[in-house]
Amino acid sequence: MMSLLKQILKIPKNLTSNFLKPYSVQNLENVSESDIDKLYKVLELELRGNDSAVLRSFSKFAVTTGNHLNIECKSWSLKKPMHERYTVLKSVHVHKKHRVQYEIRTYFTFVQYKHLTGSTVDTLLEYIERNLPEGVSLKATKVELQNIPEHLTPPK
Amino acid sequence: MHDSSAKASFSVKCIYNIIDLAISFLLNQTFDEFRVLNLKHVKGQVQQKRQPKKFEILPPRTDQMPVDQDWGSVWPGPRSFHPATVPLPVRQGYVKKGAPPDKYGNAELMKIPNFLHLTPPVIKRQCEALKKFCTPWPKALDTDEKILTPLQLNARAKDKFLRLVGDRYNEETDTVTIVTDRCPLKKQNYDYAMYLITALYHESWNVEPWEETKSEADMEYYDWNKNVSKASVEAIFGKSSEDIPNINVYSDAVSSLMNEGESEYTVSRYGHAVRLLLNLPTS
Repeated sequence: MMSLLKQILKIPKNLTSNFLKPYSVQNLENVSESDIDKLYKVLELELRGNDSAVLRSFSKFAVTTGNHLNIECKSWSLKKPMHERYTVLKSVHVHKKHRVQYEIRTYFTFVQYKHLTGSTVDTLLEYIERNLPEGVSLKATKVELQNIPEHLTPPK
Repeated sequence: MHDSSAKASFSVKCIYNIIDLAISFLLNQTFDEFRVLNLKHVKGQVQQKRQPKKFEILPPRTDQMPVDQDWGSVWPGPRSFHPATVPLPVRQGYVKKGAPPDKYGNAELMKIPNFLHLTPPVIKRQCEALKKFCTPWPKALDTDEKILTPLQLNARAKDKFLRLVGDRYNEETDTVTIVTDRCPLKKQNYDYAMYLITALYHESWNVEPWEETKSEADMEYYDWNKNVSKASVEAIFGKSSEDIPNINVYSDAVSSLMNEGESEYTVSRYGHAVRLLLNLPTS
């Protein structure tokens, strides 16, 4: 129906977007800075966990999500984990020669998404954060793109 | 007479029997056998201990699951493993002699987080629902080159900018990275970074009065056009530099020798350029 209307009024198809915004934008002057969609070059997720199998499954889930939402994504993981070792006294009192050693292994996995808009980033991050399994930590880094500010022009 | 007495004795016997029956009915005891002396259980019979209600253990739910069911409805959210609900013959664990233990009563299977609530069809369904909150990337910004526009600086301003910025410049990607973390709020750090960029930019365009007094000795790079080499070549040939053949090769060789330093490559290149210039046989 919309395309028919556009044909009648002779509005080019690429002028308006097909995606509905939650509110309608009347004039350009009324649009505040917070309403405009930001652009992100890269969204990188750093996943840390104690079990490499869980991290592998989760990165698979993150990549399939990106593919369904038509986002360029890839994931990679470090083969070797980080070992945090503690050597403590075995006994409560005396017996210095007898110790016990504990170790915590942290595995790392990375997922990277390229070329996202602000609303896509918010939606994707919310979905991924809600489905984080127990024992896995997530660190999200966003690289935003902005226009060069108007005051950075050469002097006349 | 005999009849009546018999009848009387019979009736008395009857009465005794009735009384007996009544007592046995009331006390729930029968006096057919010899009554053994019972001092323990006097106050009536002992009540049986209350047995807990025994429920029949039904067969696992997996037996009644159809093969083409919607798994997303069976396992809608994250949940610890339940063997009777998951129709997979999963085994986990290590036993020295024997197969890994099966899923019933397996604590290891219950401990690890499972992704049974995020199977591929469920992910697809949820992504379809999320699509209405996402916006597409603008088609005009496909490649990285279209995204990044460089700062407008002339050669002198760029040199000054790079000197001011120092270590923060990456030659390979041609980007300057400024990291600010001295303020408590993110917005304050961002504003400080923008202030730094603005200050650097305008300062690099500023021309100081003492910059006019820069001489050839102060130059940080070798410019062939302003040097003695060009003048001497012109003196040798008696023409202006554009008319001399192979002059560009010679000027490039001299510039690279002076700028990059003496190396096998630059020296051999200079030798080759000189031979070309003076029409000498090249080896």
